[in-house]
Amino acid sequence: MRYVIVGNGVAGVTAAQTIVRADADAEVRIYGEEPYPYYRRPLLWEFIAGQVEQEALYFRPPEWYAGRGIQLHLGTQVTGFDPGAHWVTLADGTQMTYDRLLLATGARPHIPRCEGTDKQGVFALRTLDDAMAIKAYAQEAPTAAVIGGGLLGLETARALRTAGLEVTVVEFFPYLLPRQLDEEGAAVLQALLEAQGLQIVTGATTGAVLGGACADCIQLQDDRIIAGDLVLFSTGVRSEVALAQAAGLDVSRGVAVDSHLQTSADDVYAAGDVAEFDGRVYGIIPPAIDQARVAAANMVEAGSTTYNGTLPATTLKVAGAELTTLGEGIVEGEEYAELRHADVAGGHYRKLVLHDGRVVGAILLNDQQRAKSVRQLIERGVDVSAHVDRLLDDDFDLQSLISQSGS
Amino acid sequence: MEKWECLVCGYVYDPAEHEGVSFEDLPDDWSCPDCGVGKDMFEKME
Repeated sequence: MRYVIVGNGVAGVTAAQTIVRADADAEVRIYGEEPYPYYRRPLLWEFIAGQVEQEALYFRPPEWYAGRGIQLHLGTQVTGFDPGAHWVTLADGTQMTYDRLLLATGARPHIPRCEGTDKQGVFALRTLDDAMAIKAYAQEAPTAAVIGGGLLGLETARALRTAGLEVTVVEFFPYLLPRQLDEEGAAVLQALLEAQGLQIVTGATTGAVLGGACADCIQLQDDRIIAGDLVLFSTGVRSEVALAQAAGLDVSRGVAVDSHLQTSADDVYAAGDVAEFDGRVYGIIPPAIDQARVAAANMVEAGSTTYNGTLPATTLKVAGAELTTLGEGIVEGEEYAELRHADVAGGHYRKLVLHDGRVVGAILLNDQQRAKSVRQLIERGVDVSAHVDRLLDDDFDLQSLISQSGS
Repeated sequence: MEKWECLVCGYVYDPAEHEGVSFEDLPDDWSCPDCGVGKDMFEKME
């Protein structure tokens, strides 16, 4: 059977690996638009910071593909496909039939409508080419403005800081990481970042990029000016759906897939940042891996494996800190009680959410050891009501509560 | 013993560096020391 995979990112490569393991007679062809074998995007930050060389980015060098009988076609754009006739068309006009097709075309950065984004020195980071351009430009740029204080924006800002630039992060929300943190926890994180030399401006909207042919600075809507010889937009991504749209597949934000990761067309599947499952485009790596495995299993044997969504990761690495969100970490309502402990100087934050004498959620920054105990308290529904006033103390033994709970 | 690789960040779990504990014997809530994802994001290395 011939499997054609459009896209050489994490979803495409994981699917190829799964297919060749499951089907010894598989003919697998990957088409990648970029000229590089699969590299790990999170390493692009270290690349920009000057901590790793380009060769070290390649998680799967060409030999890896060859060793598994996977045919890799780099710098090759798929320009269309016909789901009825089962063929794809390449940029040079070549047509090729497929038995199963996987769309793993990923996403591209979304830059909001804003004056001056066409100037030199304005970037978004997605590909290795983007990273090389940013790295080269950063050598001549004393200052950078990073627009977007999400995970990607913060990591890119740190990379530019390491490369020697004066960096300001501009976040639209009143505090950093609003999806993962509450306001008090975000203040601890912000202090950590400021200690690393980053400037942070929250609750601010970018109005325009100013300068001549090259960017000099950005102007916020409240008229404040932020220095930025290099301006980096980290304001989300949009699924790369053009191919699917042109072929007449169901598309909304992403390419719609069912619980088998099949699109609205027979024998055509989608996984990763391009796919929309149950109204959701995840846009992060772990769900892309889950989806690619399920899609691949169903491409080999239709209907064999079901996808139920991916639970959000509980622990994130951000700015060198470990952030764990458990259960109902961010809730409001008078039936919930909250315990907080913020240590700005030490870079720690702990918050427990209690309901009916039991822990139902938590946010922990730089407190991995405690996170394991808290997870057990939540899972076992341990009654902590007798210890509420001491629960967050440094020397309180959470583990003893768990062993007393008996199970 | 078999090494396992994190598909997200590339961390390699080598039992030889962990007192001979095989990957399968790690607790279910074990997470990648580099990027924090769960055991399900690992694949056995070939």
